[in-house]
Amino acid sequence: MSDEVRFSLTVDGTSHEVTARWSESLLTVLRDRLGVRGPKTGCAHGRCGACAVRADLGDGDPHVLCACLVPAATAAGGTVETIASIGGPDGELSDVQEAFLAEGAVQCGICTAGFVTAATELLESNPEPTRTEIEEALYGNLCRCTGYGRIVAAVETAARTRRGEAR
Amino acid sequence: MLLAAPRFALPETVTEALAALAERPDAVVVAGGTEVMPDLLWRNRTAAGFVSLRRVAGLRGVSSVDGELVVGAGTPVAALTAVPDAGLRSAASSLGTPLVRTEATIGGNVVSALPYRNLLPALLASGATLELTSAAGTRTVPFDGFVTAPGRTGLAEGELLTAVRLPAHTGFADYTKVGRRNAQFVATVSAAIVSRDGAARLAFGNAAPTPLRSDDVDAAATALLDGRADAGDLRAAVAAAVDPPDDPIASAGYRRHALGVLAVRLVTRAAVDGGLGS
Ligand SMILES: Cc1cc2nc3c(=O)[nH]c(=O)nc-3n(C[C@H](O)[C@H](O)[C@H](O)COP(=O)(O)OP(=O)(O)OC[C@H]3O[C@@H](n4cnc5c(N)ncnc54)[C@H](O)[C@@H]3O)c2cc1C
Ligand code: FES
Ligand code: FES
Repeated sequence: MSDEVRFSLTVDGTSHEVTARWSESLLTVLRDRLGVRGPKTGCAHGRCGACAVRADLGDGDPHVLCACLVPAATAAGGTVETIASIGGPDGELSDVQEAFLAEGAVQCGICTAGFVTAATELLESNPEPTRTEIEEALYGNLCRCTGYGRIVAAVETAARTRRGEAR
Repeated sequence: MLLAAPRFALPETVTEALAALAERPDAVVVAGGTEVMPDLLWRNRTAAGFVSLRRVAGLRGVSSVDGELVVGAGTPVAALTAVPDAGLRSAASSLGTPLVRTEATIGGNVVSALPYRNLLPALLASGATLELTSAAGTRTVPFDGFVTAPGRTGLAEGELLTAVRLPAHTGFADYTKVGRRNAQFVATVSAAIVSRDGAARLAFGNAAPTPLRSDDVDAAATALLDGRADAGDLRAAVAAAVDPPDDPIASAGYRRHALGVLAVRLVTRAAVDGGLGS
């Protein structure tokens, strides 16, 4: 009996016809089948947030999720926005990405796309987050390098810049 | 049906989901996938296909019907962090991470039936009932007794959990858990309380192979709430009622002690925050 499932998926504005094994995760489809390498494989089971993407999977409002936990074929006909959709088309950085650079919130970088994705989502819904709200929103993202202080500072900086306040 | 392959189905209604399951008896139901996907990765489970509930819109959402809170089995835990039931809200708010809570469903938590799962004590304390649907129709069963052993439930083959119903509470409700660290932890033990009209009802997680409550514990908790007994009496009642596991995470002795501490903590909160005590 065939293990394969065929479905369409739009990633960063490009539509794809995917053929995948029934049990495959959205993360391996993105990275290994479609060559979309923005989402990273950290733990592969929902603990680290390195694979975070924003997705509209036909199950309610679009939201940020761990691509490693989603069976890819359940996203059939859906839309995924990776870190590539957060910056500009020619590689311009978003305000959140600029703030991560300015605050030194990036070291090895494997966690960065996930943090920027989660932080961008937070600022969309809550333009004036407190430090506690930032920590709660980033609770599902792990970083082995920075010690988190610079990351929280970067989100605070991005929020201030977005509100038009001086740094 | 949005998609049907030999080993995969993406139904849009409960009827389609039941039919897809009947055609694929070796497939597993997958809702959020937050248990199933890691289980497959770590080979804790074998499966020969998926029937996904992700696109069954009728299973998602929270409503109030005849004084009960009716939660569709496919409702994400993230949505439970804002429900009127304070016990469920508290148990949902400390489940996993924000990125897990958007996918994790109440149905997956209940059917996984593991003794350390967050929502189970809250459902037991509140006197929840479950709606189970099969091709033969829908039956309603109490949550108390639904879990028969760790990971095992009274769900029949070819049956789906379709909704969880909670009586509306006017009193105080809460949930608390302890683990081996403060971040992203599963409960070593957990407890939930509902107190109203001066009576307390407690339920515990990882206190026995299945979610546990006891009339003796509730009598001691109610007496503590009224000032007719002290904390030591409640701790003794809890220690006598529980039969906790002994495993590499914690000894049975530690769990028995910690469960007593959590019980006293919740009754104290009910007395103070709920304003129902002496
Ligand atoms: C990083 C991480 C942290 C976590 N932390 C916690 C935590 O702190 N506390 C906690 O309790 N859990 C935790 N979990 C476990 C998990 O997220 C929850 O138990 C969640 O509620 C499971 O829901 P799901 O929809 O993802 O289940 P799924 O994985 O889709 O399914 C779980 C089981 O339920 C069955 N099932 C699902 N829905 C139905 C239905 N409607 N009818 C019949 N059967 C059904 C499936 O066949 C499967 O056996 C964590 C998971 C991860 C990955
Ligand atoms: S790779 Fe998905 S959460 Fe770690
Ligand atoms: S920068 Fe290395 S893990 Fe975060």
